[in-house]
Amino acid sequence: MTLEELTSYVVVQSATVAEAWYYVCTGLMVAIHVGFLMYEVGASRMKNAVSSGVKNLLAFAFMIPTFWLFGWYIYLAFPHGLVPMDMEGYGVPWNVSMGPMLSDQLTGVFWAAFTLFACTTASVFSGAVIERIRISSFTFLAVLLGSVCWNLGASWGWHYDGWLVTQFGYHDVAAAGVVHMIAGWFAFGVILNLGPRVGRYNADGSMNEIEGHDLRFSFIGLLMIIVGFFGFLGACLIWPGLPALGMQEVTTWTNIYGAPATMSSFAYNTLMGLGGGMIGAFWMSKGNPFWMMSGGLAGIFSCAAGLDIWYPGLAFVLGFVGGVIIIPANNLLHSIFKIDDPVGAVSIHGVAGIWGVLAMGLFASGIAGPSEAIPAVSLWGQFVGCIVMFAVGFVPGYVVSFIMKMMGWLRVPDHVQIAGIDKAELGLKATNY
Amino acid sequence: MNSWPGPENSWEGVDAYFTSANSEGTLIFWTLVSIAILVFVTWSAARHESETDKNTNK
Repeated sequence: MTLEELTSYVVVQSATVAEAWYYVCTGLMVAIHVGFLMYEVGASRMKNAVSSGVKNLLAFAFMIPTFWLFGWYIYLAFPHGLVPMDMEGYGVPWNVSMGPMLSDQLTGVFWAAFTLFACTTASVFSGAVIERIRISSFTFLAVLLGSVCWNLGASWGWHYDGWLVTQFGYHDVAAAGVVHMIAGWFAFGVILNLGPRVGRYNADGSMNEIEGHDLRFSFIGLLMIIVGFFGFLGACLIWPGLPALGMQEVTTWTNIYGAPATMSSFAYNTLMGLGGGMIGAFWMSKGNPFWMMSGGLAGIFSCAAGLDIWYPGLAFVLGFVGGVIIIPANNLLHSIFKIDDPVGAVSIHGVAGIWGVLAMGLFASGIAGPSEAIPAVSLWGQFVGCIVMFAVGFVPGYVVSFIMKMMGWLRVPDHVQIAGIDKAELGLKATNY
Repeated sequence: MNSWPGPENSWEGVDAYFTSANSEGTLIFWTLVSIAILVFVTWSAARHESETDKNTNK
């Protein structure tokens, strides 16, 4: 074999294995949706369990074509703000770039991984609105979140050329702000307009617990979400030496901004954050298993912004703090705003996301950007990122759901809620036991 | 921009490797059909929900 043949062989193998990596991560991320579905079905009362599951399936199904139609384009075209870059048609659905190409076999699998990121964002929102949102309204809002809002935030703060990155040094490699904050605060905006489930609050303002019909579903679901997040986080890394990205000379994994990264850091810090979050929530909740599992997720999100650079011991502490704060934050949100967030999504994703983004500024200020042109990480830059991610989630969630409420296209009427959505709308019931 | 099968049923010069890749009008057509399906299904679901509202309220 000549040197040229060997070089060609290595390049082809590198590209092929990279494609396989994102393809497999995409498949693994489906477990997130299995998890959210089981979690929400378990957290719903028997009379609404099927419709909760249908909602999750529809979010998944609608996100795929809409992400192909416009979600991917928004991510690619808007890194500089609200004016799209001229990409000469690249990324619009009728351009050949949005179909399989022999010369570019990577874009399709990148698109698939990003589609599953979008589905995850929509699923985060899903749990907060169970048992009283109209399925069609939920689908519309999920598309708005997963194929428009999230993409804009990602283009600004999760793209090597995004303005938050190039002007503020915003660092959020595993999407604490870009996915979790946006989704959590979008959900908050919607549930302010949606209102609580019938029976959640009494006339005097006191709150009733509404228990789900099967905690076992929720246990398994939450664990499945954690399994799926290994695919999500793995796909946040860029495969080394990709010729298609002009990275032939790069010999290590890089983060989404193009700075050197290691899979070891992702492995160490994901697990340490998970452990810290579960222990923190175990302590804070005095052993409540729902909060322990949710605390594990919050622990991961608490480490997500700096997943590439944390010392594992610090990741454990960040996770622990994340697991501790989500419980009082959830109680506070309920008592102040009288919201009904049956799975604590606003707190687990929105609040832990804020903590994750700010922790990067508190404990990693001065970490260099991927190039000299990119500012170093700073608390100010992370704070600005926090404000932007909150706004990108909350404002459209609140405004659009308010308009839908005015149109009478948001909430399942109280008498249908009392009858049960499964029987009234679907003619089904979840189980016969 | 290329299509497959190519004009001479040859691999020569083939890049875009899917149906109708050489016809932007056809790609726009299928895009519009996709959008129409999504809008129709959402509208249809909303109508079913409104009917359920009325039927349950009797």
